[in-house]
Amino acid sequence: MSDFFEEYKGYPNYEKMAIHDEAHGKTTRKKLWMVFWIMLIVTLFELFIGFKYSETLGETNKEYLFIFLTIAKAFFIVFVFMHLGDEKNALKYVIIAPYTLFIFYLAFMAITEGVYSWHIKDLLLHQ
Amino acid sequence: MSNQAAAVPLRKDWEGGVSPFGVSYGKLFMWFFLVSDALTFSSLLCAYGFMRHKFFGDWAHPNEVFHHFPFLEGKNLPLAYVGFMTFDLIMSSVTMVLAVEAGHRKNRKQVLMWLFFTIIGGFIFVGSQCWEWYHFITGPELSETYHGVFREYFVNGRHIVNPHFTGANLMVNSYTMLPTFGDFFFCITGFHGFHVFSGVIINIVIFIMVANGVMDKRGHYEMVEKAGLYWHFVDLVWVFVFTFFYLL
Repeated sequence: MSDFFEEYKGYPNYEKMAIHDEAHGKTTRKKLWMVFWIMLIVTLFELFIGFKYSETLGETNKEYLFIFLTIAKAFFIVFVFMHLGDEKNALKYVIIAPYTLFIFYLAFMAITEGVYSWHIKDLLLHQ
Repeated sequence: MSNQAAAVPLRKDWEGGVSPFGVSYGKLFMWFFLVSDALTFSSLLCAYGFMRHKFFGDWAHPNEVFHHFPFLEGKNLPLAYVGFMTFDLIMSSVTMVLAVEAGHRKNRKQVLMWLFFTIIGGFIFVGSQCWEWYHFITGPELSETYHGVFREYFVNGRHIVNPHFTGANLMVNSYTMLPTFGDFFFCITGFHGFHVFSGVIINIVIFIMVANGVMDKRGHYEMVEKAGLYWHFVDLVWVFVFTFFYLL
């Protein structure tokens, strides 16, 4: 039993590892506000495109652009705001890799099956 | 010699005794919870994508449905209010991350200030969503005519024509012939709105804990960081809902 407590005393105090001083905080805050401005500009750009240029850009190009910008925003939220970028690589991969793998599969299935159902519906209506 | 060996433990990450991920137990499981919650939301959005491709051409145009703005009734401002809601959530996300940063400096006053702004932003978002649901359910005025309004519905396979119905419920809506459009709106934005509401409650609890000095007694503000993870996740989901439900 005493061995157990000896071991436990050596367990690192992860809760206190992120504590930093004023100077470090200043650079962190600068980075955070920078990310905020980037995200705000991206959102305004999306709305602007949605308002004005939906015809000139073409439907498919617009969709790809929006999905790309959304994933860019998601990257900033997860890696800067949620501090995943500061974590160990092991944690990064454990969070990101299984999710990405599964979401590609899910999106592929949804779109393939959805388009197929649309064709079937068309086929039945025109008979 | 043996004393030296005991003072410097020569252990690697995956050999026990330390966290291989370099984070505390609570934060690791907050991440695991968020991944599972993210999969729930992705399945909802994928089901939405499936239906949208299946009923390609019959689906409602979101910028013709969501074009109201509070205090500017009757004006056609497509997606302006949803844009405001997105701005509000990103803004509250920034105040939350500033609260987390102030927690890393153990500055109680600043943590309380930024958490307060975050809670206000959360309440504005929940209120905005209530307002939008109200307009979606009651629908446009009968005199108002704009492209895309159908007064014909399919209920359980039967074709129904009702010229007096406006708005939406789970069975019919006046924006499309498809009840699925209303169902997905209620399901996805409702599920997300419930997450925002729980996030606000969590933030209030953390605010009270910080105000009572619980975090100072513990010596660290990691609880603020964990609540922050949840709050940023809510913002993350809204970014995707905003794109897939409103913009595309």
